Amino acid sequence: MFDNPSHATRRARQGILREWRLFALSIFSLTVAFVCLGAALLVMTNLRAIETRWTHAGRVSVFLKESATDAEIEKTKVALEATAGVSHVTYVTSEAARDEYAKNEGNANDPLLALPKEAFSPTLEVDVDPNLDDKGIEDMEAKLGQLQAVESVETYRTWTNRLARLVRGGVAASGLLSLVVFASVLAVVGSTIRLALQRRKTEIEVLKLVGATDAYIKRPFLLEGSAQGAAGATGAVLLLGVLFLLVRGRMDGELTTLLGVEPTFLPWFAVVGMVVTGALLGTIAASLGLRKLVAV
Amino acid sequence: MAYDDDFDGSGDRREGGAFRPMLRQGKRFSQEAAHRPILVFEDVFKSYRAGRPVLRGANLVIERGEFAFVTGPSGAGKSTLLRMLYRAENADEGRILFMGKDIARLKDDSIPFLRRNIGVVFQQFKLVENWSVFENVAVTLEVLRLPEKLVRTRVGEALERVGLSGRGEEPARVLSGGEQQRVAIARAIVGEPALILADEPTGNLDPQLAIDILGLFEEIHEQGTTVLFATHDRTLLEQRPHRIIVLDEGKITDVRRGLVTEDGNFLSAPLH
Repeated sequence: MFDNPSHATRRARQGILREWRLFALSIFSLTVAFVCLGAALLVMTNLRAIETRWTHAGRVSVFLKESATDAEIEKTKVALEATAGVSHVTYVTSEAARDEYAKNEGNANDPLLALPKEAFSPTLEVDVDPNLDDKGIEDMEAKLGQLQAVESVETYRTWTNRLARLVRGGVAASGLLSLVVFASVLAVVGSTIRLALQRRKTEIEVLKLVGATDAYIKRPFLLEGSAQGAAGATGAVLLLGVLFLLVRGRMDGELTTLLGVEPTFLPWFAVVGMVVTGALLGTIAASLGLRKLVAV
Repeated sequence: MAYDDDFDGSGDRREGGAFRPMLRQGKRFSQEAAHRPILVFEDVFKSYRAGRPVLRGANLVIERGEFAFVTGPSGAGKSTLLRMLYRAENADEGRILFMGKDIARLKDDSIPFLRRNIGVVFQQFKLVENWSVFENVAVTLEVLRLPEKLVRTRVGEALERVGLSGRGEEPARVLSGGEQQRVAIARAIVGEPALILADEPTGNLDPQLAIDILGLFEEIHEQGTTVLFATHDRTLLEQRPHRIIVLDEGKITDVRRGLVTEDGNFLSAPLH
């Protein structure tokens, strides 16, 4: 048997309007809690994008020995170009390497520029298919290491491994933060509902006296709890959105170039997930707060 | 058939003028039950503290369509007796039969369905002050999931019966005490219950208003509703020759003809 849902919605709406200060305070508290969670998710989203970008950087630097002859270098270059997953190979001489460093550094007084050109190793810069997996790159690194002319191979995996560790740490921290946020949502909504229950004691007594079932009495409070949770999460998403636009507007373009990725906002499923989680947590909190209805 | 399956908020309330209680879906009202007393107390015991019982083996029969006063000194158990009828309290021992069913043995989830057959009026009115008069009365029918149009019609009729026609939009808090009590009565009668329980309904009203309110309950009674009217106001008891149930020290004394004797005089005993 179902009670008329429109009665529950109307009573929930009336309850929120009558106790709007109480609910506004609760929603503000929930917004603050969800902003913390949302900010952590936002950082994680961008760190993961950087990690993905660098994991699939599509670049390998092959440092050549000083003793490597032009013939050896050419042979290595040709062999590399014939390797599956390699799209282009560029030979960078010691001189070109120093010039590029000078160009990027832009400081003529840099002591490194005073070093002889031999201090800058010649390299073969290899453009790799971004979709080449870790195993493919590992194989290429192993094979290159065995060549006579090759001093060392840099696949930039050290960076991506560090980044991956940072992301894993961030995920764990976000998980803990989620628990704290969930607990605070339960506490805030539960307290608000208990207070609303106390303020509407007569209403509940009347409903019980005229034969309302517990489910009928509880339904508006559950809707109110759900609305609070959803509104708190929505408020947090909106606030984060505004902050994100402000920060992105002031972000240095060179930083974006350096990181290789544009800063991105939370994906739509994370936004929907936050709002749905807020609504669900609000309902659960209200349900817990309603365990002891007024006895008549 | 288990007792606690019998009460419900659905179903046709009246058929050919005979009372039909609200039963749970799929349950049928026995015509035999229509001839039983509406209320029977059988050796009912109730105490809040050990050795100080409020009711000690109370026995009482209320017939369908009766009007009875329940009286006695403060603390005699008038309110307790009424509260047991709508299961705000439960009896320690004995049986309380409402329309033939033992309500002392109802499961908790059946209590709302019992209450849909009983209207209750209190001394303190128990209105939701920030609701309108209409909302305070309509709540009884909304719980029954009746269509909005029917709710409007029946609330309008109930407000007319209590003399508050056209006052539905006013907030309950702006009404006088007498008017608030009329709203509470409208709320109790709008669902056409089998039994109306009035727990000191005139306790907060001046003597003239009290008599007006008593008159209102009598009008409701004349429509066929059973009324139990708890009061310790002797002047009210002297007004009408209704049956009086006196509670004192846990025992019930039944004064079937009220305080008015056949020659028009008033009895003094056994009231305090």
